[in-house]
Amino acid sequence: MKGQTLGEFEELVLLVVAAYHNEAYGVLIHEHLEEKLAKKVNISAIHVALRRMEKKGLVTSKYGGITRDRGGRRKKFYIITSAGKKMLDHQYQVRTSFYNQIPKISFG
Amino acid sequence: MKDRQSNTPTPPKYFLRFLRWYCREDCIEEIEGDLLEIHSKMHAVSPSRADSRFKWQVVKHFRPAFIKKASIIRPHTSIAMFQNNLKIGWRSLTKQKFYASIKIGGFAFGITACLLMGLFIRQELSYDLHYKEGSQIYRVIRETNFNNELGKGAHFPSPFASALIENFPEIDAVGRYNATGQFGAGGNQVRSEENATSYHEDDIVFVDHDLLNILEVNFIEGNPYNALKTPNTVVITASKRQKYFKNEEAIGRVLFLNNDDSKPYVISGVIDDFEPTSHFQHNFMISLANHDFYNGESSNWQNDNYITYIKVKPATNIKALTSKFASLVKKYFLPPRIASGNAEGIAWVKSFRFKLQPIKDIYLNVDRIRDGGKHGDIRYIWLFSSISIFTLLIACVNFINLSTAKSADRAREVGLRKVVGSQKSSLIFRFLTESILLSTFAFIIGFMLTVLLLPYFNSMLNIELMMPWSIWWFFPSLVCCAILIGIISGIYPSFYLSSFQPIQMLKGKVSNGTKNSTLRNGLVIFQFVISIILIIGTLTVTRQMDFILNKKLGYNKDQVIMLQSTHTLGDRIKVFKQELKKIPQIEAVSITGYLPVAGTSRNNGGWYTPSMTEEDAISGQQWAVDDEYVNTLGLTIIKGRDFSIANPGDTKSLIINESLASALNLDDPIGHQLTNYLGTWTIVGVVKNFHFESLKKEIRPLGIYIRPNNNTVIAKINSSNMQETITAIAKIWKQFSPNQAIRYSFVDQEYAAMYTDVNRTNRILTIFTVMAIVIAGLGLFGLSSYLIEQRGKEISVRLVLGASVKSIFQLLTSNYVKLVLIAFVIATPIAWYMMTLWLQDYVYRIQLGWGIFMGTGLLSIAIALLTITYQSFQAATMKPVDKLRSD
Repeated sequence: MKGQTLGEFEELVLLVVAAYHNEAYGVLIHEHLEEKLAKKVNISAIHVALRRMEKKGLVTSKYGGITRDRGGRRKKFYIITSAGKKMLDHQYQVRTSFYNQIPKISFG
Repeated sequence: MKDRQSNTPTPPKYFLRFLRWYCREDCIEEIEGDLLEIHSKMHAVSPSRADSRFKWQVVKHFRPAFIKKASIIRPHTSIAMFQNNLKIGWRSLTKQKFYASIKIGGFAFGITACLLMGLFIRQELSYDLHYKEGSQIYRVIRETNFNNELGKGAHFPSPFASALIENFPEIDAVGRYNATGQFGAGGNQVRSEENATSYHEDDIVFVDHDLLNILEVNFIEGNPYNALKTPNTVVITASKRQKYFKNEEAIGRVLFLNNDDSKPYVISGVIDDFEPTSHFQHNFMISLANHDFYNGESSNWQNDNYITYIKVKPATNIKALTSKFASLVKKYFLPPRIASGNAEGIAWVKSFRFKLQPIKDIYLNVDRIRDGGKHGDIRYIWLFSSISIFTLLIACVNFINLSTAKSADRAREVGLRKVVGSQKSSLIFRFLTESILLSTFAFIIGFMLTVLLLPYFNSMLNIELMMPWSIWWFFPSLVCCAILIGIISGIYPSFYLSSFQPIQMLKGKVSNGTKNSTLRNGLVIFQFVISIILIIGTLTVTRQMDFILNKKLGYNKDQVIMLQSTHTLGDRIKVFKQELKKIPQIEAVSITGYLPVAGTSRNNGGWYTPSMTEEDAISGQQWAVDDEYVNTLGLTIIKGRDFSIANPGDTKSLIINESLASALNLDDPIGHQLTNYLGTWTIVGVVKNFHFESLKKEIRPLGIYIRPNNNTVIAKINSSNMQETITAIAKIWKQFSPNQAIRYSFVDQEYAAMYTDVNRTNRILTIFTVMAIVIAGLGLFGLSSYLIEQRGKEISVRLVLGASVKSIFQLLTSNYVKLVLIAFVIATPIAWYMMTLWLQDYVYRIQLGWGIFMGTGLLSIAIALLTITYQSFQAATMKPVDKLRSD
């Protein structure tokens, strides 16, 4: 668990999954990411990221009910696990600690 | 395009299919759903952008994480599975005996055709392969280009062979043979010294001893190194020794030719008979040693009578050697022609291009050289092999059609198997097994048919084919072929049958039993196209053959008898002629060896008028005949007069044919003079052109004059009892020549014999056409009967609603008639083109008229109707209640 790394994009996806707990699925993650990052993202990258993270045990998935949208195909919702949350916390901690060490000068 | 269940628009079809094809099952729902959602949101704004975005996303998803794991096709068929397949296959065959037998029957026919053709082709291709050093044996041929006419020949001057061996060290040995009739080769009367009876032999030839060594003959008696090195010796084959000397030794014995006791030929060797696959089939080989056929003949470079073979050292560069031959032209061919001022000859030899023909190519004669020997024709080999392959193809098509048509019956089996968990690959294997089983049966039947039919095939084509029982790879290759054909024709039906969805079977929706698929229709059209082409071909060849046999030839060939080898009568031949004329049924008798059928004498030379030079001479035939020739053959004199006995001046008179007259460009040739190698003649008459060569050629210039030429006597008979006349003739013959059996034939027989190859082609074509029609008809029959059965309910309903028998009949047959018409339209131009090509061989030929094509069209429709009628009629007249009752 300790040795695992999290890519930058994967981290972003994980953050969105955590933020939209119980409601996060492919398209939703895609929309919010595109909106926040203000740049185009291909949904395939998101799918790959989710799959990888599920393999690493950072998220789990479950299928939603059958609806009339999407031609009857169920949505696959992703939920962050405790390991995933720990990872996020760890990342956040590392980044913030460095950020706080930046001298308070104007960088132009 | 909106989905009916929800209002989501459907994304690009093919990309969606692509996605479903490659994507893993555990991801597909999620990915497809997400993509669909994005697409529908975008679609409201801009449909085209939504589509392109979708496509891009599908492509982007094509990465290892999402691609299905490649499933290795493991046909997990153990032995038990295989046995089960066989059992089930066997059961399904017996359950549908009718259709199975149609399939098997069609296949068996096709296989028989291929096997018979295969044997024939195998033999034709196997000539001259038996020489140990065959790769070093070549025959010299030359190509010439004279007066813009390309020619090819295999005859060379007498000293050519020794010039070759002198000038080129790569050549180990040369050998020539001379088969020129005028020099005494060919047909002769032969008798041994002890026996007074002469027998006619056809295959006498003059040969260098070295040729025997080149051809690797096996000596049973005599010295293989110098048997023919002494003049006036002869080597005979074992079968001839048997004929003349029974089992005794023949060496040292003497043979006489044509009763000429002054020229004894001593037998210096006996060899094994030539293999049946050797192109060289002569039985009497007389030595060429020190033999001049006329004064100065053996050093004459201006006559070409010798076919020349060479044997080169191993690993010789043939191309290099051949190019060196060109130097011989300057060294040997040109000088005598320059000396005699023969400008034509000079131009001719300058255009020489030499080629070395490997011995194994001689028989098949790809170069189309006329060398007087027996040849196979490579074009026929192509023709027949393609016909047999097509026949087999038609049978395969039958199989495919019938198998896919009856797919409805199998839907239940396939659906059930899939539900229980069979993989698609095992299903395919199961159906392939069934088709292999079927093709094996067909092979067995076809094989038996071939064995049965082989004797008839042989007698019809005048060949001797045998089943190659002794070749070790014969049976294994048959088995392999059976399996291969089973697989090839079974692949499409197997894939088709194994692709049924279980859901359709459960719903009871039977898939395309009644729908006419384009593929099936296309296949039926294909079958009929081939059959129609074959029919047209057969009709054309038959009509050309009729034309040939019945065409007015310009002379009367009926009831004209030819008595052969009459030169042995010597001076008494004139008396013989008088005796013959005493027979009441004989109208006219003529003594001459020059006749308008093949195999008789020919003499080509130059004719020139006083105002022409020898170089400009018109090339034409020059025949030595007698004064009753015109009368006996029934030729028509159109200008001037015939020869007459009363007119003694006719010793220098000449009658020419129309071609020669027009070549001379004279208004009235009567009275003019023409010169040939024998002297000058005065033209007294012009005869209407008559065909003396095959109808493949133009009628060339011809001049006839009175001069003794005794080897044949012809007689015009007018008799209703031919046998009686022949007996009378034979009696007179016996008086004159008691020791030589009479030999005769009839001009019309000899004429027909000139076209044996056309006859043979005709027969083979007819056989194949009938086979193709039968197979195509069978196929149509099976297919239509099945489809009609399927539509039983529909027909019953129509009948109930009041349809007439006629309209049902029309309904059922119109579809097939349409197919046949389409096939006809496709086949006609192809057949027309092919037949025109074939007919171009013949200068005198039939016109490809509408009659043949119309007749074929009607015939093919008739065939189609015939096969469908019975079934359609039955269907149209059945009681509707039968079909509806079971619903």
